[in-house]
Amino acid sequence: MTLSFIMLALLVAGGVVWRAEKQWQGSAKWLSLITLALLATVFTVFVMSHNTDFTQLQVLSRVTWIDTFNIQYSIALDQLSIVLISLTWLLAIICVLVSWQEIKTNVGFYYFNLLLTIAGIIGVFIAVDMFLFFFFWEVMLLPMTAIIAIWGHENRHFAALKFFIFTQVSSLLMLVAIIATGYFHLTQTGQLSFYYLDWLKLELPLSVSQYLMLGFFIAFAVKLPSVPVHSWLPDAHTQAPTAGSVLLAGVLLKTGAYGLIRFVIFLFPQASAQFAPIAATLAVVSIIYGAKMAFAQKDFKRLVAYSSISHMGFVMLALFTFTNVAYQGAIVTLVAHGLSSAALFALAGMIYQRIHSRNLNDMGGFWQSAPRMGGFALAFAGAAFGLPGLANFIGEFFSLVGVFQVMPTFAILAALGLIGSAIYGMVLFQSSFQGTAKHEIIDLQARELIICSSLLLMLLAIGLYPTLLLKFSYGVLT
Amino acid sequence: MMMPVADNTPAFLTMAMAGAILPQLIIAFGIALALLLVAWRRSQRTIALFTGVVIVMALLANISLLVTPAIQVTQLLKVDGYSTFAFSLILISALVALPMSHKFLSAQIEVHDEYYLLLLLMVLGAGVLVTSDHYASLFLGFELLSISLVGLVGYQRESQYSVESGFKYLILSASASSFMLLGIAFIYSVSGDMSFSAVISKTIYNQPDLGVFFQLGLLLFVSGVAFKLSVAPFHFWTPDVYQGSPTPVTMLLATISKIAMFVVLLKCFAAQQYLLLENVQQFLLIFAITSMLLGNVMALKQQNLKRLFAYSSIAHMGYLLIVLIVTSEQNLAFTWQSVLFYLAAYTVANLSVFIVIELLQQQLTTQQADITLSDIKGLFWRAPSYALLMILAILSLAGIPLTMGFIGKFYILSQATIAHAWWLIAALIVGSGIGLAYYLPLIFKLFSAESSPDQNVKISVKNIVEKVLVYSLVGVSLVFGIFPEVINQLINT
Repeated sequence: MTLSFIMLALLVAGGVVWRAEKQWQGSAKWLSLITLALLATVFTVFVMSHNTDFTQLQVLSRVTWIDTFNIQYSIALDQLSIVLISLTWLLAIICVLVSWQEIKTNVGFYYFNLLLTIAGIIGVFIAVDMFLFFFFWEVMLLPMTAIIAIWGHENRHFAALKFFIFTQVSSLLMLVAIIATGYFHLTQTGQLSFYYLDWLKLELPLSVSQYLMLGFFIAFAVKLPSVPVHSWLPDAHTQAPTAGSVLLAGVLLKTGAYGLIRFVIFLFPQASAQFAPIAATLAVVSIIYGAKMAFAQKDFKRLVAYSSISHMGFVMLALFTFTNVAYQGAIVTLVAHGLSSAALFALAGMIYQRIHSRNLNDMGGFWQSAPRMGGFALAFAGAAFGLPGLANFIGEFFSLVGVFQVMPTFAILAALGLIGSAIYGMVLFQSSFQGTAKHEIIDLQARELIICSSLLLMLLAIGLYPTLLLKFSYGVLT
Repeated sequence: MMMPVADNTPAFLTMAMAGAILPQLIIAFGIALALLLVAWRRSQRTIALFTGVVIVMALLANISLLVTPAIQVTQLLKVDGYSTFAFSLILISALVALPMSHKFLSAQIEVHDEYYLLLLLMVLGAGVLVTSDHYASLFLGFELLSISLVGLVGYQRESQYSVESGFKYLILSASASSFMLLGIAFIYSVSGDMSFSAVISKTIYNQPDLGVFFQLGLLLFVSGVAFKLSVAPFHFWTPDVYQGSPTPVTMLLATISKIAMFVVLLKCFAAQQYLLLENVQQFLLIFAITSMLLGNVMALKQQNLKRLFAYSSIAHMGYLLIVLIVTSEQNLAFTWQSVLFYLAAYTVANLSVFIVIELLQQQLTTQQADITLSDIKGLFWRAPSYALLMILAILSLAGIPLTMGFIGKFYILSQATIAHAWWLIAALIVGSGIGLAYYLPLIFKLFSAESSPDQNVKISVKNIVEKVLVYSLVGVSLVFGIFPEVINQLINT
């Protein structure tokens, strides 16, 4: 009930914000910030006060929606979704803060879209009816596309179109798989069902499940993204406004990983095990290819975008080893990457606001005029290449340890990606903050300081005391 | 109710039967009265109002029929829940097109009574089509629909396209109906019965000479219908005629004529089990796949909005054909449900799109015949309600959740998945992917910030009828998109 209320509140707040901006200029950002903070608190209180620890999936509500297809509005929560939703809240607030001065046109409508995207993302993480899941999967897509297409940079329409077509076509494959599984349930048990918990009980022969699994896998691999279907990501990231990039890298990519865990691996364990070598190969190629492409980029945001592909490769590799340690690593990597890439994109936005360029050639020597910004940039770059003491290190370490137990060759190859990440991290930092000064820029303002330091604090906290997250995500594994 | 007293022979037309075709009777009677009205007083307002009243009455009568059981009305017609639902869709489309037509016609000095007569005739033709249970009534309805449409398509005499599109439609429509007539004759020569419910023994299909003859007849019949549905390869007239006719007529063409033809095709096929014939299936398969791909690809580069939606309608008929191909005897009820739901979604979306086009056309200051992509630039900031309606319609056509179009697509995919028709699914996915490449830029155009200086005027919706139309269509597409169960229930009763 509370969760449905939260999503509805986000939708309503979006409308209110939109109207309010027309009446009082400048009210939209404050209202969005307050709404998000309030709802995040409501969510925290709800989770805390619930008398279970959410190690198992807790079904919260189940209401009939479309009777013809036996589709219900059913939502549930477990630790995995709690972790990811918490990340969403944090990054949502960061998003509002980074858009504070960046968005100047159609401000009200912008925040409407932002709030709607967040409502959709939360919906994705809690839906346990597959139809509902698909519904939210698309609901988060539409406003996100609007954010890229309306407030993005010079090539925004192309990027938004590419993003949308990639996701939509792949999700149609998933829709076919969803329908097919639903009807398979009908032939097996005599009742059509799209309910996740019903599907878990389904006995699928491998000959059927391998195709069904593939339908889901492609949709999530596009979102993650993994190598042959990654090409939308650099464009979308580069062209999106800062908040769009933060949200894309921070949370939207995670929905792909979430889908892989919840729907691919848990629903089709046999088929996934059979598919694991291919998935692991794709993952390793993603890791190395992403890192290689990253240090060849001249565009700050494009560089970070390619590094995302590399990091998400670690997640996929870890997930398809089916070991406890690797799972832990994958989940920590998800959170850590969400924080660190969000931080780097936020930095890119701050630099863009000052010098109106994303090109690394136009940057250099920022350290002299903006030492605080430089310090943060160094820390975030360090996080991206897995510096011990920061969260990413824990994630990558656990992933690799887990992978090594099962597929040692893959682990060794994947470790090469770490070298690549050190190179692109240093390239990024050196070409923007060191060398001869090309611009005098203003150092971080109070608002920007809050953004950077809160993200760094989270990264440090998880990096130094990983039990915070390891203990929490343990229940996901069986 | 009147009961035949002491007479055991079944009456030719009982009151119950008359009640079942009451909506059609109301329309027919309305046409006669409208003719008298023209003789009495020629006024644009009066005739428009009168037509509106007739359609509303027919709609009310029709809605009351939704709960009554199926009934055979003479040999020619059969009224059941499906045909009633389809006729409701047709009447609603006519009702939406009416104020648009009135607005368009009142811009001229002449009094155009005949336009409304043609509109009513067309609705009657569609009403006969959806209820027909016999090739004779099918042909009757088909001709009524076609001939009145020819008049409507070429109605705007002073427009540069009117003669071209009118003639194109007339000639092609006439040849299509002659194809169809020949096909019906072939079918009749083999089966000896023109009724849809006639039982034809399965062995006929496989006889060496008669079977070929029969299948040739079927092919001719299907191509006649396919022409009307603008299914590839019978689609060539569509973009030109869509572009050349007045926008309210395009609206009718895109909705009423498609609904009626598809419903009658399914009715005929379902009753006679042509679906099980492999050859027919193969033809339909080719039609469907070429329509889906060709329609979407051709729409990509269109600048003219009406042409764009013409091609998109070709693709949509291709999607809908999938249902017809994969259906089987066991799930006929589900097939009907899918088809009617998809048609409802398609109708609402097309009505919305063409309303916006017509309203924009009226706003144009210059004497410009067509609405192109550049005319809708930045519409969202100038006229939010129009743009919202357009966006919802486009999303619905693209099959994105929150809209009826998505549920329609869900129906089609379910049908195809049950039947394991993977090739059709693949074509549908590819087609939808290509479709997005023109639907989405349309939406981006609506949002684009820059617009030419003369378009910077804010458009405000003044007319109360237009306001009601726009907002109610927005409401309908949202409500039924989120709660499709309401329509499912309506179809099922």
